Amino acid sequence: MKFQAIFNDRGVNLLEKRFLPALEKVGKTCHLYLDRKHVIFLHNVLHGDGVQAITQFGKDTIFAEYRISSQNAGRIAFTIDLGLFLRALRSSVSMDGDVCQVKLVKKRARSSGVTEKALPFLTFESKGHKSAVVQDVPISQPLTRGAVQELQDVLESGQGLPQTLVLLPALGQLQGHVDQLKNVGDVLDLAVTKCGDFYLRVNTPFVSIGTEYRGLKVLGDKVTPQSSVNEPVNPSGRLREAINRGEAHSVKVAVKHFAKSLQCHLTKPDHSFIGVSPNESCVLLMFQYFHSGSWEVDENLHMHYRIPVLDSG
Amino acid sequence: MSSLQARVYFRKELFKEYHFRRGRQRRPRFGVSLSVLIDCLSAFTFSSGNMGLELRYPGPDMQLLLKLMDSNRICTDAEIRTRIPETTPREYDFNLGGDGPQPLSFAIKSAALKEIIEDLEWPGSSIVLTVHPDPPRVTFRGEGHGDLQIELFYNAQSDLFISFQCDRRASFRYKYKHLKATTANIPASIVKDNRGSKLTVNDNGLLRVQHMISIRSSSSSTAGNQPQPQFFTSQGLGTTTGQGSPMPRVSYTEFFVMPEEEPLSAGGQMDGEAS
Repeated sequence: MKFQAIFNDRGVNLLEKRFLPALEKVGKTCHLYLDRKHVIFLHNVLHGDGVQAITQFGKDTIFAEYRISSQNAGRIAFTIDLGLFLRALRSSVSMDGDVCQVKLVKKRARSSGVTEKALPFLTFESKGHKSAVVQDVPISQPLTRGAVQELQDVLESGQGLPQTLVLLPALGQLQGHVDQLKNVGDVLDLAVTKCGDFYLRVNTPFVSIGTEYRGLKVLGDKVTPQSSVNEPVNPSGRLREAINRGEAHSVKVAVKHFAKSLQCHLTKPDHSFIGVSPNESCVLLMFQYFHSGSWEVDENLHMHYRIPVLDSG
Repeated sequence: MSSLQARVYFRKELFKEYHFRRGRQRRPRFGVSLSVLIDCLSAFTFSSGNMGLELRYPGPDMQLLLKLMDSNRICTDAEIRTRIPETTPREYDFNLGGDGPQPLSFAIKSAALKEIIEDLEWPGSSIVLTVHPDPPRVTFRGEGHGDLQIELFYNAQSDLFISFQCDRRASFRYKYKHLKATTANIPASIVKDNRGSKLTVNDNGLLRVQHMISIRSSSSSTAGNQPQPQFFTSQGLGTTTGQGSPMPRVSYTEFFVMPEEEPLSAGGQMDGEAS
């Protein structure tokens, strides 16, 4: 099992400034899954009931040189602490050296205080003009062939893409609003319609507060909104009618999960879409990143979050 | 009866539109959870633009309704459940302009008042407030873990005082935590604009603390966005345009603090002497 790569400038910038700070908000540790073409960060995929986040980079997006080999078709996966990863990367960048190399190593180190044994590390080597820095970031033992296959299955399954995705409004502003709603209640009623309307609402015994965003861009199944004199005047009435017409999905999620997911704005997505999976088991947040200076989606950079839906009971 | 009461008054001129349909009650009264109301209002602050927040009462189920529609077709609304207050707040009467003795009052800079009350924290316990007519002065005295007395002379500290009305000596004791509550959350704009706070004490020792709230309307902002000069009248609070005509756009917050029951051993009540 071997992995060795050299970061390119864009990769360092993407990870250090945008993606690692955002992913750290989802969870302190995650799986890092490497295959011959991709580098993938996965949160809460094999276990855990929190927000699931999958971030996939094409290898050339991050690395200038990339070598990987394993007996499992060139696939390696392990658990890593994102905080340590980010610190090591920042420290390497501060060297202002020519190259920043990362590789998978086993080193003898003390485990549980006394016994010394070979432990796996992701080693960052950065060479500056006058000095060099080597940093060992501890990682878990590589995942078994079965566990790696489970990760692969999750990636390939797609878990039912929503039939309708609605373009989210400005994420920073939305996050500010949801942070305020967090003070009101714990459960968020979230709904999207095929007309491109998006609803957020918190209901408690004392208050019902929510926001309606109308006429947003729709991907997938859509209907043209019909203006009618009989249209309800309040957002709750309009949503109720959309649900009755079968043009809306409405689910409940934890406000803290949704607020945490909106930290994704740190990755500066060009487009963010939201939808409800067909079986209403999760809410999907999907992000698109454009090639620099164009409106063309960068297919080598992909991120999506899955927020678990709460039992209605 | 509660020992501390707080009120905030908003005049109808504060609102862009104000419609009041008189029902059976002359002044409808309902209760809402303060924390819920604050949380809800905070949730409306994210909206951009200067669209007005609509408040409506009663809703179909006697709720307080809030609604804000901004220029991007984003509509935020809230329904807050109301309840009939278990107790009716007492309407304190200071007998202004009546036959009884005029209450004593003085107005000082809000920032100074806040600082004085914060300084009185360390003795803890209760604070004795004494107003003297001659020489005109105000004394705050804290006794507990050590003594601390702060004395303010009207003639010597004219930059601190805005007004002083006292024809007899009065001294009453108040719980420190109640006094602290009257200045703990003075709006930042009051301190920033160097405004004043008015303290009034009646014969029974009931203390009223009033702070002006700065509310700059669109009309005042067109007039150079300058804060309007404000003054205290013997009848309460007002603002002036400079030509002497009062401006109605005034809102203020006031606190009523009951004195401690325990009588003071010396000069503990209004005694009418001009000491």
